[in-house]
Amino acid sequence: MAVKRQTWALGLLLAPVTLFLGVFFLLPLTIIAVFSFLTPGLYGGVEWDFYHWNYSRIFGWADGIIEIFEPIYLQILFRSLSFAALTVILTLILCYPVAFWVSRLSERWRLVFLFLITLPFFSSLIVRLYAWLLILKPTGVLNTVLMSLGIISEPLEILYTPAAVVLGMVYVMVPFMFLPLFAAVDNLDSAQTEASLDLGANRFQTFVKVMLPQTLPGIMGGAVIVFIPSVGNFIVPDVLGGAKGLMIGNLVEQQFLSSRNWPFGSALSMIIMAVVLTVLMVSVTRARKAGGHA
Amino acid sequence: MRNPIGWAALTAFSLAFFAFIYAPLFIIIGYSFNSNPVNMMIWESFTFDWYTGLLGLSDRITDTGNRAAYIESTDLMLAALRNSLIIAVFTTTISTLIGTATAIALARYRFSGRGFYNGFMMVPMMMPDIVLGIGLLIFFVTIGMNLSMLTIIIGHCTFLTSYVFIIVQARMAGLDPALEEASADLGASEWTTLRKVLLPQLAPGIMGGALLAFVISMDDLVITYFVSGTGDTTLPVFIFGMIRRGVKPEINAIATLIILASVVIAALGLWLRSRKID
Repeated sequence: MAVKRQTWALGLLLAPVTLFLGVFFLLPLTIIAVFSFLTPGLYGGVEWDFYHWNYSRIFGWADGIIEIFEPIYLQILFRSLSFAALTVILTLILCYPVAFWVSRLSERWRLVFLFLITLPFFSSLIVRLYAWLLILKPTGVLNTVLMSLGIISEPLEILYTPAAVVLGMVYVMVPFMFLPLFAAVDNLDSAQTEASLDLGANRFQTFVKVMLPQTLPGIMGGAVIVFIPSVGNFIVPDVLGGAKGLMIGNLVEQQFLSSRNWPFGSALSMIIMAVVLTVLMVSVTRARKAGGHA
Repeated sequence: MRNPIGWAALTAFSLAFFAFIYAPLFIIIGYSFNSNPVNMMIWESFTFDWYTGLLGLSDRITDTGNRAAYIESTDLMLAALRNSLIIAVFTTTISTLIGTATAIALARYRFSGRGFYNGFMMVPMMMPDIVLGIGLLIFFVTIGMNLSMLTIIIGHCTFLTSYVFIIVQARMAGLDPALEEASADLGASEWTTLRKVLLPQLAPGIMGGALLAFVISMDDLVITYFVSGTGDTTLPVFIFGMIRRGVKPEINAIATLIILASVVIAALGLWLRSRKID
């Protein structure tokens, strides 16, 4: 390269990010890892003694008693995983047809609908969740409409149930699934689908054998982007969920802001981090493999 | 080729999808003008009371008659809005500077840690916000730093730097390094080349990154929730608290204003992007 690059200039450009993220990102994460193995203090805080019960508790053993197996935290972890998986599946089912539809519109309408899907990115998460509170509550929009139409006679109790949590997460995550899917569907080679139909495959076969494999990278990308914020979410279950909608994120929040058991909260966050890292590693390895075949 | 019935069904499904996305927002807007404070589903009459109430101008009191408490909560909300704006301005400035510098360094220099930095810049974006939030909380408390606006700004910058980086890096990838080489060949110093050749070309990317950082900072709830002290709160955290205490008609008014602001910002973003193509 003709431009003479100075080492000191590189140092100057990289120093801020190295210092900032080193101190305010890597250090805090290290502290969580360390705290997760420490003894909870009597009045909040920690004592600097090694303690494995934070993790043992999560995996089902009550404090100090190996005989009693109480998998309550495992249940909540499992619930968080299934809510996040359900959110991925539902956003995928909702977005796939719509992404296909938008990709087949004229240039002008495509821009309009793409703008409409990105608009929620710019609007407030808490406001969008609040809207569902208004819709789902017993005297809310849904019940009033259904009752005045005579479809139901008693108000449905949806608010503060697991269904409300999943609905809220789907609503919040839909744009994150849509954009990677749209990019994939938009790049579909229509000659291949036409060839498949011409050669006698029906629409379902064409979809499964031709479209799905081509759009798989977009599906995987959307799934990862939706799954990761869903699994550790605590705002949606806090606003729309009741006790049965409690997720691991709520547990973490409780440990820090009400129970003041920081080591246990840290251990729970380590579990969230482990789940997220696993998902990321699997998706990166899969993407590499797919790239290798192409 | 195209099956008309299938296409009509697909169109209906897609329009229903967009209705699903937008109906909740229109419900809030509708509610914000309804004077019925008890059951908002029953239309009483059109009113601006909830908007004037936000500014502390209304005599109408929704809570059981405590006007002093009501005005105080209005003051708190305006203070939260002011905090949000201050935090977003500082966060945008800092994360844009750091993110842009990193993007330039990684695109224009060859050095051994480059692959590591490229991968590492993705991590703060993928880290669940609750983990980052509690990590920062423990960190600040452990080193004895008081929770304040400063800790909120630091918290926002940790992940927004990555967002700015990604967007500036994308812009960087589309630039022709020959222009900078020509500038250097003609005797411009590295600093002059950066200022007069590289930055003007990068400007749309930097603006886009800054806009995104501003919007996300204004909207951030989780990180702020953990690293804000008892005193300083931001608008999303304030609204979160208000919702936890129960639904009040003023929330509809402020939510409507936020929706309007987001439409304006999204349109601004679209305009910036269309300029980028030119």
